[in-house]
Amino acid sequence: MYRYDEFDAAFVAGRVEQFRDQVNRRLSGELNEDQFRPLRLMNGLYLQLHAYMLRVAVPYGTLSSKQMRKLAHIARTYDRGYGHFTTRQNIQYNWPRLKDIPVILDELASVEMHALQTSGNCIRNVTTDQFAGAAADEILDPRPVAEIIRQWSSIHPEFTYLPRKFKIAITGSPNDRAAIKFHDIGLMAQTNPNGEIGWAVYVGGGLGRTPMVAKLINGFVPHEHLLAYLESILRVYNRYGRRDNKYKARIKILVHEEGLEVIKGQVEQEFAEVRGGVLTLPQEELDRITTYFAPPQFANSGATAFDLEGIRLTDPSYARFIENNTHPHKQVGYTSVTVSLKPIGGAPGDASDKQMDAIADIAERYSADELRVTHEQNLVLPHVAIDDLRAVYDALITAELADGNIGEISDMITCPGLDFCALANARSIPIAQEISRKFRTPERQKEIGELKIKISGCINACGHHHVGHIGILGVEKKGTELYQITLGGDATENAAVGNILGRGFVAEDVPGAIEKLVDTYLAARTSRDESFIAAVRRLGEAPFKEALYGAS
Amino acid sequence: MRPMEILTANELVSGATVYVDGAGHWQMDLQKARLFSDDAARDGVIAAAKATGRLVSIEIEKIEIVNGKVVPNRLRERIRAEGPTAPYGPERQELGEDGHVSL
Repeated sequence: MYRYDEFDAAFVAGRVEQFRDQVNRRLSGELNEDQFRPLRLMNGLYLQLHAYMLRVAVPYGTLSSKQMRKLAHIARTYDRGYGHFTTRQNIQYNWPRLKDIPVILDELASVEMHALQTSGNCIRNVTTDQFAGAAADEILDPRPVAEIIRQWSSIHPEFTYLPRKFKIAITGSPNDRAAIKFHDIGLMAQTNPNGEIGWAVYVGGGLGRTPMVAKLINGFVPHEHLLAYLESILRVYNRYGRRDNKYKARIKILVHEEGLEVIKGQVEQEFAEVRGGVLTLPQEELDRITTYFAPPQFANSGATAFDLEGIRLTDPSYARFIENNTHPHKQVGYTSVTVSLKPIGGAPGDASDKQMDAIADIAERYSADELRVTHEQNLVLPHVAIDDLRAVYDALITAELADGNIGEISDMITCPGLDFCALANARSIPIAQEISRKFRTPERQKEIGELKIKISGCINACGHHHVGHIGILGVEKKGTELYQITLGGDATENAAVGNILGRGFVAEDVPGAIEKLVDTYLAARTSRDESFIAAVRRLGEAPFKEALYGAS
Repeated sequence: MRPMEILTANELVSGATVYVDGAGHWQMDLQKARLFSDDAARDGVIAAAKATGRLVSIEIEKIEIVNGKVVPNRLRERIRAEGPTAPYGPERQELGEDGHVSL
């Protein structure tokens, strides 16, 4: 993992002191709320319905055990004993007090963490594949480049007041697990015909009220020029992005309105000027950063596969866990384990302080001291020896974290919704709770197979509903919550935005509507091998629409 | 008759949901909220509240009296008053030692 150098440590400490002074001046009345609000937002501090909310950055979703224990400590000491992991691979605390924020930031800085640039119109935390550095299918570990982007974008003097927020996602694998095509910039590792590794750059993706799939602006940018290329895109956006209308200020609108070719021409012109300059990445610096992400010492002995047939007979729950929650590792004899934060009837993405401590202990003992946060609101133990998996599973059972439902219908992305969020129009978490209860049995979930439901409580789409195989969008109509259902979205390399099927449903009718869609799929699929999304692509919307609304 | 209104805000230090009562205290009990039917009185309280610097996000909310209870018209406000309906957040934020904002 990356370790702060003296500059990083001094920078974060300086920013904490600056914000401590700003908080003190707010508390003394020297600053009013209008003056203080942009300052607190720059430090990740929001005011929600019931309390403040602090959003802490987890750079590219990577955490050490020590950092996870600190997050648990903060939850226990300054909040209400839990934290909420988000689609931005961050953690949010829902109940901190303003006067405690400087101390919380001190605590975070002591483990090389902060809440900077988790809000505001700046470049946000870079997100990546949760299996980075572990996945069997990756071309390279994207985290060294993600770390370099983090350093480049931290209080970048030119890009601190962009037209709107700016999100970058990066993956080293051709199988996109980071939803890169729904970010302002998405980066995917590529190998060129000479065998060199660089980056395909996608631009102008996003969700929210105007969902867009990002467009390929450059098929191959070499490592050493990546920062210059990113800077070129940001310059064009900073110059031409709309500032007259908040809803049209993201780069997706600029790319859409101007056209990809126009933007590409402007970026190339900028790139021609900055390429080869100070932003050229020296190989030795890339190598230096890469050493921080060196793979752990793997054991070369032990089991290399699971006896799944045997385990199915003796322990079906463990077999389910192996089938759903493990991911192929590049090292023979190892696997990556996803820890579900989606218990039946629970709030997706929430973990208690005790659970955070437990998973930190498990990571320290069995996963080279490393953890990841996924954009699907789960946690990952990236490097687990197959020989240790049973012990890991047993420890997860003790911590009530052993749900084997990853990728199944109850593994939903869900935003905080109207239960917490000041922007929401409708509740999200209770909808997720009821859907998970409806499909609670493992047998039913297995029968359905892979199905991604994503739920947002407003059009800002923090719950990624546009890219759910089934998406649920809560709206407010005549004072009540109503839920629109979309079909056919996909966050992967086969990126697609779902379509609204028809009129909305009241909350209590949503689980039943989802069941009708599921039953339509089960009746129509060609075999168990045809997934829900594959069947939707083959069949089109018509049979699903009919299931919900009757024949037209 | 015009709809009745209450004033709500978040207290500066805790962020807790508070309502102004008849004595000018900002406190947590929706049922003790002062009911306004007069713009001038309401706006005077808003101005005084802003002047304290201790209240954030001051809002006017329309309410009804149902079975003798104050019920905000908006679901959002009913959730603010009752706390989250989702797990883990059943208790409301407490004002604690910061709860002494009065006009």
